[in-house]
Amino acid sequence: MPIDCEDQELLEGFLAETTELLEKLDDDLVSLEKSPEDAELMNRIFRSIHTVKGASSFLGFDLLVKVTHKTEDVLNRLRKGELVVTPEIMDVILEAVDLVKTLVADIKAGEIVERDIESTIAKLVPYLSMSATEATVLSAAPKAEGAAPAAAPQPESAQAAVLQVAPAAAKLKEPAAQKPAAPAAKGEELADNSTVRVDVKRLDDLMNQVGELVLERNRMIQLHSDYQSGLDPNGFADDFGKLSKRLNFVTSELQMQVLKMRMLPVEKVFKKFPRIVRNLARDLGKEVDLQIFGEETELDRSVVDEIGDPLIHLIRNALDHGLETPDERLASGKPRMGTVMLSAAHEGNQIVISIKDNGRGINPDKIAQKALDKGLITEEQLAVMGSREILELIFLPGFSTKEQTTDLSGRGVGMDVVRTNIRKLNGIIEIKNELGHGSEFILKLPLTLAIIQSLLVEVEREVYSIPLASVIETMRVDQKEFHMIGGQEVLKLRDSVLPLLRLGRVFSCADAGHDRSTCYVVIVGVAEKRVGLVVTRLLGQQEVAIKSLGKFLANLPGIGGSTIMGDGRVALIVDPMGLIGGGEGTGVRKSAAA
Amino acid sequence: MQTTALKVKSEEYAGELIQLVSFNLENEEYGINVLMVREIIRMLNITRVPNTPHYVEGVINLRGKVIPIISLRRKFDLPEAEYDKRTRIMVMEVVGEMMGFIVDEVSEVIRISEKEIQPPPPVVSSGIDQECMAGVINQAERLLVLLDLERMFTADERKLFSSVA
Repeated sequence: MPIDCEDQELLEGFLAETTELLEKLDDDLVSLEKSPEDAELMNRIFRSIHTVKGASSFLGFDLLVKVTHKTEDVLNRLRKGELVVTPEIMDVILEAVDLVKTLVADIKAGEIVERDIESTIAKLVPYLSMSATEATVLSAAPKAEGAAPAAAPQPESAQAAVLQVAPAAAKLKEPAAQKPAAPAAKGEELADNSTVRVDVKRLDDLMNQVGELVLERNRMIQLHSDYQSGLDPNGFADDFGKLSKRLNFVTSELQMQVLKMRMLPVEKVFKKFPRIVRNLARDLGKEVDLQIFGEETELDRSVVDEIGDPLIHLIRNALDHGLETPDERLASGKPRMGTVMLSAAHEGNQIVISIKDNGRGINPDKIAQKALDKGLITEEQLAVMGSREILELIFLPGFSTKEQTTDLSGRGVGMDVVRTNIRKLNGIIEIKNELGHGSEFILKLPLTLAIIQSLLVEVEREVYSIPLASVIETMRVDQKEFHMIGGQEVLKLRDSVLPLLRLGRVFSCADAGHDRSTCYVVIVGVAEKRVGLVVTRLLGQQEVAIKSLGKFLANLPGIGGSTIMGDGRVALIVDPMGLIGGGEGTGVRKSAAA
Repeated sequence: MQTTALKVKSEEYAGELIQLVSFNLENEEYGINVLMVREIIRMLNITRVPNTPHYVEGVINLRGKVIPIISLRRKFDLPEAEYDKRTRIMVMEVVGEMMGFIVDEVSEVIRISEKEIQPPPPVVSSGIDQECMAGVINQAERLLVLLDLERMFTADERKLFSSVA
């Protein structure tokens, strides 16, 4: 049934407002479970759901009204203290909110689908001091299937005591356990990505900056005409110098402003986690305190869209593998409740997101053994691995320490997703691990994907640009210090062995002929891997705008795009991920042949 | 851009006038529909792109846009030649993408009638792929080969372009 709404603007307003309210609601509900005494929070939740109800009845969305009305009633009883907040009640309320999200998503898609709302309503009803009429309406509802008939007799038998209902409702939840998954996925899509809401102040700032730019342009035209008419040729160089300084200032300000407009607080991703953690913890029978820091940290939309999935996997892992059950925790002298700390912060031109738990940590021996059992590595490979390399084995596709595949884990996909997404973003993953005390996953991501800080290097007279976000360090090395291991050139760096890639060979550059014994090694990191790129010379650091190479040259291995340098020439941007992932084989083969 | 190619065909019997840009490659004259050509520029600094087919010269910066440059000589397996002051890059839009083609010299824009276009001869002495030839124009003392560059990039080739290592 297509939606027939006369006033499109009204509908859009409704959708925007409702979406925002619903996003906040999840978070608030989870907090409410932790602090049921918070009257202010309770009232806010109540107001939100009430607003949604009001707006939807005004626009005539009957299904929405029905669900929100019942939810509101339950919340009202909670607010008045007639009911006490229990995990069971929260389960049902959250399910109702999910249903509301699904319905709103339907409206957004422009199609109202007949959905089974009765089974969810049926779960809400026991918590109301329901009247007999409502109960009969419910049992008479033709749509009610499966869960509903089971629920329908319930109100009659449990009319008197709400307390008795609670465990029964919990039982009811089980058959519907698979269901919430679908609406939840739908709910995530509620967030609209095609339009941006920008703070008016930011727009004003931008306007100011553009004004400045116009001013500088006029200045430049003036300067040029002065110069042509031969007025004061001596002062020209001076004035021009000043002008270019100001232009530089204005453009970099402008760049920052535009960049800021594309920025979103990471909260957008973080706010769905309390809910996920709550559900997971209940499923796993663990007690978890999720602490979130720095959710106001802003990062580019493109990055925000990509980090959601990896973070979910990392948090799941922290809960499933990291944290112990309450009994195990008590036995090892830790507090019953485990903590998972999720934090975000800016660090220079990067954003650093860390997921830290105080669980059992990762046991490298176990990891190594598993990888051997699964045939992912050989004994010889293992023998030369350092402890960091062993930890990195968890990123291999197909790796899992779980004996049995469950709903949550065991297929060995999760960490591979993490790695792939972080690589896509040119990010770096670090693992800090303390056996028995927990582990920490640190993601370092670039702030934006449109303009990057890069390191310009020269390779046999050709200039390449390496994203600074993936550069870990650079060093000047004598070529005599290179060693060969199994046909692969390596460099001993402190306590680890670093594989080397000669960029000149990978990119088959013409030999420029200078046979110097020293060269530079740029150590880059992609996700958890480290590789040294051998280059002729370092040219310096520059902020560059990424230009696409067009679709014909889009998938070149090791090349991520191009940029235009100050002199108008094009420099190619090295894609460390492509080099390490795909180029590795080539590198080995070529250096073996040499 | 597909439409231009189609148009040429449909106009065949209508006998309408079409305009061609004529250019030289290894002393042979070629023509290309003027509607395909975006601009003609002088040689400038080309940045080599590694791991591409041999006929991809590299990329240039065309007023802030980075576009690939293809050497028609190499594409057609003609002998290499030094670039001189008559060498030009013809910037064209091929299958929706801007691309530059290096030619020896661009001479003029000529008007011909559709009727003058004859089907390509079955055997061609030069190395040009039969595929790219849309026809031959025999006008007074000159012989022009009409090229259809869209055909130069077959679906396979387009894929190869991006996957060649």
